[in-house]
Amino acid sequence: MRRILLAGAAVLATATAGTAEVKLGSLGGVTGPIAEIVALLMEGRELAARHVNEQGGLFADGQQLTLVVGDSACDPKAAVDAATKLVNVDQVVAIVGPNCSGATLAAAQSVTIPAGVVILSESATSPAITALDDKDLVFRAAPSDAYQGIALANYILGQGVKTVALTNANDDYNAGLAAEFAKAFEAAGGKIAAHQVHEPNKANYRAEVATLGGAKADALVVFAYYGSSGIAIIRNALETGAYSKFFGADGMVNDELVNQLGVDALKDAAFTTPGADDSTGAFKAYMELAKDLKQPLGPYVPNAYDATFLLALAIEKAGSADRSKIAAALREVATPPGEVILPGEWAKAKALIAEGKDINYEGATGSLDFDAAGDVPGTYTLNTVTPDGKFAAKLLK
Amino acid sequence: MDQFYGYGIYAISLLTVGGMYAILTLGLNLQWGFAGLFNAGIAGFFAVGAYVTAILTKPEAPEHLGGYGLPMAPAIAVAMLVAAAIAWAIGRICIRLRSDYLAIATIGIAEILRLILKNETWATNGPRGISSIPRAFEYLPDPWDKLAFMALVLVTVLVIYLALEKAWRSPWGRVMTAIRDSEDAARAAGKDVESFRLQAFVLGSALMALGGAYYGQYTKYFGPDSSDPASVTFLVWVMLIAGGSANNRGAVLGAFLLWTIWSGTQIVTGWLPREISLFGVAIPDVPVRAAYLRIFLIGLVLQVVLQRYSKGILPETRPAVLGRRITRGPEPGRQG
Repeated sequence: MRRILLAGAAVLATATAGTAEVKLGSLGGVTGPIAEIVALLMEGRELAARHVNEQGGLFADGQQLTLVVGDSACDPKAAVDAATKLVNVDQVVAIVGPNCSGATLAAAQSVTIPAGVVILSESATSPAITALDDKDLVFRAAPSDAYQGIALANYILGQGVKTVALTNANDDYNAGLAAEFAKAFEAAGGKIAAHQVHEPNKANYRAEVATLGGAKADALVVFAYYGSSGIAIIRNALETGAYSKFFGADGMVNDELVNQLGVDALKDAAFTTPGADDSTGAFKAYMELAKDLKQPLGPYVPNAYDATFLLALAIEKAGSADRSKIAAALREVATPPGEVILPGEWAKAKALIAEGKDINYEGATGSLDFDAAGDVPGTYTLNTVTPDGKFAAKLLK
Repeated sequence: MDQFYGYGIYAISLLTVGGMYAILTLGLNLQWGFAGLFNAGIAGFFAVGAYVTAILTKPEAPEHLGGYGLPMAPAIAVAMLVAAAIAWAIGRICIRLRSDYLAIATIGIAEILRLILKNETWATNGPRGISSIPRAFEYLPDPWDKLAFMALVLVTVLVIYLALEKAWRSPWGRVMTAIRDSEDAARAAGKDVESFRLQAFVLGSALMALGGAYYGQYTKYFGPDSSDPASVTFLVWVMLIAGGSANNRGAVLGAFLLWTIWSGTQIVTGWLPREISLFGVAIPDVPVRAAYLRIFLIGLVLQVVLQRYSKGILPETRPAVLGRRITRGPEPGRQG
């Protein structure tokens, strides 16, 4: 027993000792419904912190950037508790995350805005976050759903399809996306012939598809996650012959969709995803640095890298671990004018900041130029299925 | 200095959240500890309380029902009345069911309530939830707003505790435990068993709505994710069983103790280094894995408590029948 205690004490001692460090909160749904996605995101965040620390750390004395993990569990109650601890007990300078929109709204309003701490979420996409009275403390490195809804609506109308039937899974992400899509589609002259909300994880969706089919629209727009309802709805629509042309968004893009439905069924299908412009130098730089990650282009993984790297730049720019200076510094390092910094270029950025020059980070996911609400404009790619059963992505202009 | 101030704020948050859970456990104690009603639908009443209070107190919002701008106290009272009315309607139908059947019925009813709240988008903004919920005392400067809200919650806990203690010793409480222990005997003694059980169910559910009303204010956002049964129904049951059911002090202790463990373990796991080498095997991503270790720890604590204290940390103590006014010598439940 004593030996175990001594070993424990030694572990704690090595953990607390060491060089001076700057703590950055890393809040995310580590447990809970999107745990698999968050595990990949956390790698993106860690990679960015490693690049900072390997290239000289923070400030003149090379302090280490430490990510303090808090589990928001995709639950507003857990997010408030975890954020309280990060802000008060760990005294973090700023926070990356949380992931889910509900958790972000709760943590921001209940804890971080009153405490004056900046949060930068890489995956909360609810338009409600734009409208938040946030004293310029809430930022996002992922585009609001509003933009993806507009992008998809414009694409569909551009294809000559004027009337669609719409269905969405009843969760905050897909419901939000559907609402924004419907607004944009009708504003641009399209017609939503039927709108049916469905609960995920049902055995079949024949009743919903019958209602949607009765509307006799030209195409079916599905906002859902592929596994919990998306595949089943498309299968039911094909079986009943209601629709053969499908549109959707990022929840649907997975190889499993093609495996289960076949290439022929999806030859007229197209799905948008928040994507990166793969022709930019920033994207290529990121891909080179992130090649050891399990999924460098997993959902919101590049966004996680960009968010963490940006906050580190903001702390360096602020010149000290002073919470109140981070928001202004974040805007300065993310937006023009200034010399362009690409992912991984920490040493260069640090030298420029030391000289007092402006910098402008261009991330793997885009320019990350925050607007007045702290949102970034979206870049979207269109995914179609090729005859050999793969997804081909092209940038939507 | 900042660090100690931070610890202080965290201690306030522990007491505030622990207090809100104590309201829930006291409500469950009234149902399970007093009357033996197995309510597995705590999350439903919790959600009703939070949503009704949020809708009544918020200014006008285009996304959901609102614009009533009621002051806090009447809004919470209405929320409790709504939950009580729902519990009464459910109780009229289900209260005759024996404990395990009642549990099944309440699970179903709680899920129906949660689905209604999630799907009636015009009223609740559906899956996207209600944001910017006003919180009591939030106009006060930091840290007085937090202190005042904590005081409000703790005073509420104290009032409920004292009321339940009084009820526990009263003839009313004795009838409740008599029904719990032997329904037939209570019936034979001429007690209206259904009516008493319904009273416990309705009052307990109203307390759960009160807990939800405070919690919605505390997090300032409430959505379908907020009333996940695992972190409401399940955790509240664990708190009551570990603390000691049929003992109001046990219910309060269980709530504060389990919440402190639940929340505090994250600080402990945060001290762990990024990588641990155990018997020559390197374990990476320790902070991420540790989040699961916490859940395991809660299970372990429950096991230890239940092995060591099989009736909870503070077990039930029967009020002494002849203890206080020995000369009068009332029989239990005579006036009930």
